[in-house]
Amino acid sequence: MKKTILFVLSLLLVNMVMAQMKVTGRVTSSEDGSPIPYANIQVKGVRGVGATTDLEGRYAFDNLSKDAVLIFTYIGFTSQEIPVNGRAVIDVSLATDALNLEEVMVVAYGTAKKGTFTGAASVVKNDAIKDVPTLSFENALNGKVAGVQISSNSGQAGSTSSIRVRGIGSMNASNEPLYVVDGVPVVSGNVSNMGNYTSSNVMSTINPSDIESITILKDAAASSLYGSRAANGVIMITTKRGKLGRTNINFKASVGITPSFATDNYEAASTEQQVEMYYENFWNADIYAYGKTSAVASTNALKQLNNRFNKHGYTFTAPDNTVKSLTIGGDRAGKYFDWESELMRTAVYQSYDLSVSGATEASNYYTSLSYTKDMGRSVINDFDRITGRVNLTQKAGKYVDFTTNINVAKSGKTGFNDSRATGNNYFLQSRNLLWGLYWPTDYVTGLPWTARYGSYAYNAVYYNNEWENSSKTLRISANEAITVNLLPGLTFKTIFSYDNTQTNDHIYYSANHFTGAGVGGSVSEMSATNTKLVSSSTLNFNKEFAKKHNIGVLAGWEAESNRFDYQRASGTNLATSVLHTVATAGKLDATAYYAGNSMLSLLSRAEYNYDNRYYFSGSYRRDGSSKLGPAARWGNFWSVAGSWRIDKEMFMTNLDIISSLRLRGSYGVNGTLPSSNDGWRTLSTYPNKYMEMPGGGVSNIADPILSWETSYTSNIALEFGLLDQRITGTVEYFNRDSKDLLQDVPISGVTGFYSTLKNVGEINNNGIEIELSGDIIKTKDLNWSLGITASTVKSTVTKLYSGQDIIWYDPTGDDARAKFIYREGQSTLALYGLEWAGVEDETGKNVWFLNNDKTATTTVDGRPATYRYQDATEVIIGNVHPKLFGGINTELNWKGLSLSLNFNYKLGGYTYDAAGRDVSDDGYYWERIMSQNQFDNRWTPENKTASLPQRLATDMEDVNQKSSRHMHKADYLRLKNVTIGYTIPKNITNKVKISSARVYFNGTNLWTLAAYKVYDPEVNAFGSRGWEMPLGKTYTFGVEFNF
Amino acid sequence: MKKINILLIVLSIVLLSSCEGFLDVKPSNSTDAETSILTAADAKVAIGGLMRKMASSDYYGRNFIMYGDAKGSDFAIASQGRGLDALYVFNHSATSNSYSGFWSQLYHNILQANNLIMNIEKIEADGKGSATLSEYKGQALTARALMYFDLVRLYGKPYNMDKSSLGVPLVLEPLEETAQPTRASVEAVYTQILKDLADAEPILSKAVGTVAVKGFINYYANKAVQARVNLAMGKYPEALAAAETIITSNKYTLYANDKWVKSWSTQFDTESIFELAVYQNEADLLTGSLGYYLLRKGKISGAMGWFMASDFYINRLKEDPTDVRWGIMDYDETSSTRFGSCLKYTGADLKGDKGFPSPVNIKVIRLSEMYLIAAEAAFSQSTPDKVKASTYLNAIRKRAPALAASTSTTVTLDMIIDEKSKELFAEGQRYFDLIRLNRTITFNDDFIKPAVIITHRTVSIDRTFYKAILPIPKGEMDANPAIASQQNPGY
Repeated sequence: MKKTILFVLSLLLVNMVMAQMKVTGRVTSSEDGSPIPYANIQVKGVRGVGATTDLEGRYAFDNLSKDAVLIFTYIGFTSQEIPVNGRAVIDVSLATDALNLEEVMVVAYGTAKKGTFTGAASVVKNDAIKDVPTLSFENALNGKVAGVQISSNSGQAGSTSSIRVRGIGSMNASNEPLYVVDGVPVVSGNVSNMGNYTSSNVMSTINPSDIESITILKDAAASSLYGSRAANGVIMITTKRGKLGRTNINFKASVGITPSFATDNYEAASTEQQVEMYYENFWNADIYAYGKTSAVASTNALKQLNNRFNKHGYTFTAPDNTVKSLTIGGDRAGKYFDWESELMRTAVYQSYDLSVSGATEASNYYTSLSYTKDMGRSVINDFDRITGRVNLTQKAGKYVDFTTNINVAKSGKTGFNDSRATGNNYFLQSRNLLWGLYWPTDYVTGLPWTARYGSYAYNAVYYNNEWENSSKTLRISANEAITVNLLPGLTFKTIFSYDNTQTNDHIYYSANHFTGAGVGGSVSEMSATNTKLVSSSTLNFNKEFAKKHNIGVLAGWEAESNRFDYQRASGTNLATSVLHTVATAGKLDATAYYAGNSMLSLLSRAEYNYDNRYYFSGSYRRDGSSKLGPAARWGNFWSVAGSWRIDKEMFMTNLDIISSLRLRGSYGVNGTLPSSNDGWRTLSTYPNKYMEMPGGGVSNIADPILSWETSYTSNIALEFGLLDQRITGTVEYFNRDSKDLLQDVPISGVTGFYSTLKNVGEINNNGIEIELSGDIIKTKDLNWSLGITASTVKSTVTKLYSGQDIIWYDPTGDDARAKFIYREGQSTLALYGLEWAGVEDETGKNVWFLNNDKTATTTVDGRPATYRYQDATEVIIGNVHPKLFGGINTELNWKGLSLSLNFNYKLGGYTYDAAGRDVSDDGYYWERIMSQNQFDNRWTPENKTASLPQRLATDMEDVNQKSSRHMHKADYLRLKNVTIGYTIPKNITNKVKISSARVYFNGTNLWTLAAYKVYDPEVNAFGSRGWEMPLGKTYTFGVEFNF
Repeated sequence: MKKINILLIVLSIVLLSSCEGFLDVKPSNSTDAETSILTAADAKVAIGGLMRKMASSDYYGRNFIMYGDAKGSDFAIASQGRGLDALYVFNHSATSNSYSGFWSQLYHNILQANNLIMNIEKIEADGKGSATLSEYKGQALTARALMYFDLVRLYGKPYNMDKSSLGVPLVLEPLEETAQPTRASVEAVYTQILKDLADAEPILSKAVGTVAVKGFINYYANKAVQARVNLAMGKYPEALAAAETIITSNKYTLYANDKWVKSWSTQFDTESIFELAVYQNEADLLTGSLGYYLLRKGKISGAMGWFMASDFYINRLKEDPTDVRWGIMDYDETSSTRFGSCLKYTGADLKGDKGFPSPVNIKVIRLSEMYLIAAEAAFSQSTPDKVKASTYLNAIRKRAPALAASTSTTVTLDMIIDEKSKELFAEGQRYFDLIRLNRTITFNDDFIKPAVIITHRTVSIDRTFYKAILPIPKGEMDANPAIASQQNPGY
């Protein structure tokens, strides 16, 4: 009896177990209930049985065991295991994967999981940069990546930025990182050939909306696969691909206005105050320097004023022989011309983007088209750009993938001179040269005023119609790749990339313009083509052994060729002012040449991990470059790295508070090539035509064994996550020794040259980087996250040729505007000059610290000082590098509303004010306008504790010396971006068949707290500010639709 | 699979075989310096380059000419702050206004000359020399001599003041980058100058006015430099002989009075012994040219009135209101009746010698100067030949028709020196003459309005003033410690 019951029961059981049933259901996202197409569903423990959801998120299993367990997975979402338990309908809601350790990031020659990558790399996603109104993506990266400093060289539309990753590693070669787009290195930097007139940033040909993510590789382990060009870091840009599912159409439009600069920038005093200071300048000289009576002094001062300004319709009187009774009279009395409104305007930035993307199992496409127009604050500064992109990946058969990424961008820029050119820089003119007393018309005849003003400025109202410039860039990049899955785990990938940038510059001066006047008008056309061909093939092998051992091996080779072609045609003595072409010129001039370089490389990498707990990797690359002579051509670059997933250890399992903990370290070698293509050749060049016959001569002394600059970087970091990844962070220490640095070693001028290039210097950069981010509030409706980056970089010159100091100048604007010194043991950006001791209260004179053994004529704070700067010795006066820099990013999301704030800050360090000597000149220039700061702070008998000296027209050169008087604290905190966005609820948008709609407002540079308020503290990479256009406050409104 | 393997093998073969060729990328607009002068045509290109470099703004293109006049008291400034003032006020230091451009440009040019001479000697040693090649060598030697003459007067004390004092480093072949040369004595430099000139003399062309020598150096230019150098050394008979070689050759003719003004609008006119060509798109300095610097402020767009004639010069010219040299003077900014603005370098009609005001040739050596050198040498030699002195002087003095000609009894050194001032105004000579003659130089400082006190020198100086010569530039002393202890006294 019992046996029968057991048998029947077992039959029943078997029946139950063997019972096949149909199971269906729908997979949706827990965030907004939208269906997840192409989600993967496996049956646990059963091979070969699986399903994917369709476009509606629906799936069906026909023959499933009642006790089966289904595993639901989809990229970006947390997997779920759900037992069937006999249910016929199982709907699953998947939550987004907060555990971003599993996130895949793009790295050198491949991808890696964030949680296992042994190098130091930071990732910035598209979301973080998409709302910032910027032509080129690098301006949106401020404060988002530890260890990276981004400075813009000018506020002009389309200008280039400088990026420094982990300090400054080179004195003579470039400090810019390598840019890699979709796996191949690309041309970067300024492509315009018009010198100080404009810089045209070729990276602005990549539409920021096309960028999916940016990875910045910072240490040797991450970047040494790029070997000889990676010492300054690598910025890897990955463009967007389609997402599995329905075709997605995205449209964005935004308009931004910039009515004013972000901070004060040498604001000028009022016209009456200018005249007062002008009178005072000469009056003071006569009274205090020449001992004249006030009657004589006043007469002389009035004579100066009358000499210069009577011709503009003004007269001057001072009945009581002091500035108090100074009155401006004349035909134009009381009226002054507003040059600021003539030269500046509210800038308008517009951008329109349309993209269509989608993907199926076999193919993946992303296409976009965009138009951007940026009309800058200066009335003649304009930039516009059209870009189009097609990214397509297509599977062909089971084993082969074809990928093609094509980007075409056409941009045009009109710019103006950003250097200290009195005739051409409108910003300089508005703050320093154009008196309110100057008018664009002659007050007697009413005709345009064409003569040069006494301050050396020109009448822009008239001359702006007499010249034009433009810089047009067309960039075509085509990137073709074939990936062949030879065997499971063995992939062969070959990429061929063609990157061609053609820039056409045009500059025209009419015969009426002061530059074209002597030659009857001039026009120049310059055409430059930069072509880069890269062919890169790699073989990648990955295998798991015995479930515990994972091995990956990469081997490959790469060839790259760069060519630069340049032609210029110029003409002078033009036939008519209506035609601005070289063909009409009476006298023609032309030049053309080409230059190039090429590189061959072998690369390899090996990785091993044990049980996903211990990771080791090593890489080796051998580069040969045409930039070096045969004796030193080939170089070897390698790295070793390891990491340890501490949280996976047994002893960590009980510490729940720590959800992830990883220690990683690396050491490696990479390099920097010389900037010049022929640095190792001693050459004769032929630029010295004589009487229309060729002429040339020896042009340099070179070192035939000129070699790489080598950088040895070690890096150690701790990555942690607390409270279920609610708080994550990285603390990292790096040390980068750069050796064999190229230096222009000074040599005796008697050799015919004053320097030659040699590899002799050494620099050390080390520092700590901290990245912290956390979700302060995380509920269904409300999310508040906060992230902080903080970095320190100590950048020191460790070795110089024969220990000799090198004095060098800020190259910006060809103006030698700040003086630096490379000295062993000192900072790489050590400002050098006289040490100013301030202004003597009793007399208003400049006082200087002696810093030598000469007899002191006075003392300040107990230190010997002098009134004559000629007697003082120059010393190191400050360090440009900050003590701490970084950003603070916070984001608040509530239902559909989001608010994000992005601050960047800098603490410590100094900036050098190269324009101070112009707007605060102590009376040196006899016809320039001064800043409000000069007016307020100049020494007068009524204001004896003033910070600036008395103004005297005795041509004292004190203000023109490079000194600590012009050095100011660089600390600042800036609200770089504030974005308020509102995603319109789905129930409304679905009614009009729009799958999502968003409106947003973005404000850039809206608020700044700075230690020194006279000018914008966000200066260039050398810490100096001169007469380049400053940044402005931008208010942008935008909408974004997805169909 | 197999197809891919084959492809890989083919690729790697292609790669390895084209390896080194792929990595040898030569520049398209320069050649290796070592092999750049192999034929006479190459030498011609090099000498053309050297001439062009001599017309640089740091040398005869502008600054050297300005130097010789700004410091000579025949120039004055009307107002401070217009640039190159430091020359007038002697505001020199090793670090500021050291005019290091003279040092670097001149030695750069000397390198080109040395390189050319060395390469020509190599070709000649190989037995492939020719007369043309020798001629280029002669030109390079003469140019080098002239440049050392200018260098030693800028940086060293006058020969007749202290010839054993420090001159300038003497280099006769291209140096290695590690070289640390020290200053040779003034005497050693002058000895080398005379040697170079003597070596070059026989191999130079005696042609005048041909395409081959216009803008270049010929035999007579060599003789002219010899005249200048010997005069500076006080070797009057030699100076006289050299000057007379040119005068008696009759290859050059003095301008007639009615042609004198026009000569400044003419290229390679009858008096030009050595003229450096300045063409548009070549050494043209546009509004920074010598011509523009001397135009009255505001005369044409870009003219800023940097220097004008001093009262001393005006008064000298006023000795004869019909002096032809008034024809090249224009009124200056101080008054419409004061003719202190000089138009030599723009032409009287502002059309230069090619139709434009700035690309105007520099007349480095003219026949008029040779006459005046001959006059002074004849007068100053140990047995003065006053007949010759007054004859030569009168040839120039007649350009002031109202003045009585000098005679062998009335001729004085002052007459000759004054005539030189009148004739060679703004041609870079006055200062060097006054220093050579150990005269006191008094500046027209009261001309500056409104008045300023000049702190860098006294109103009168002479050649004992330490700033009468330039300091060795700081850059040179930093790079060349051997010379650092040889700075000129006072700096």
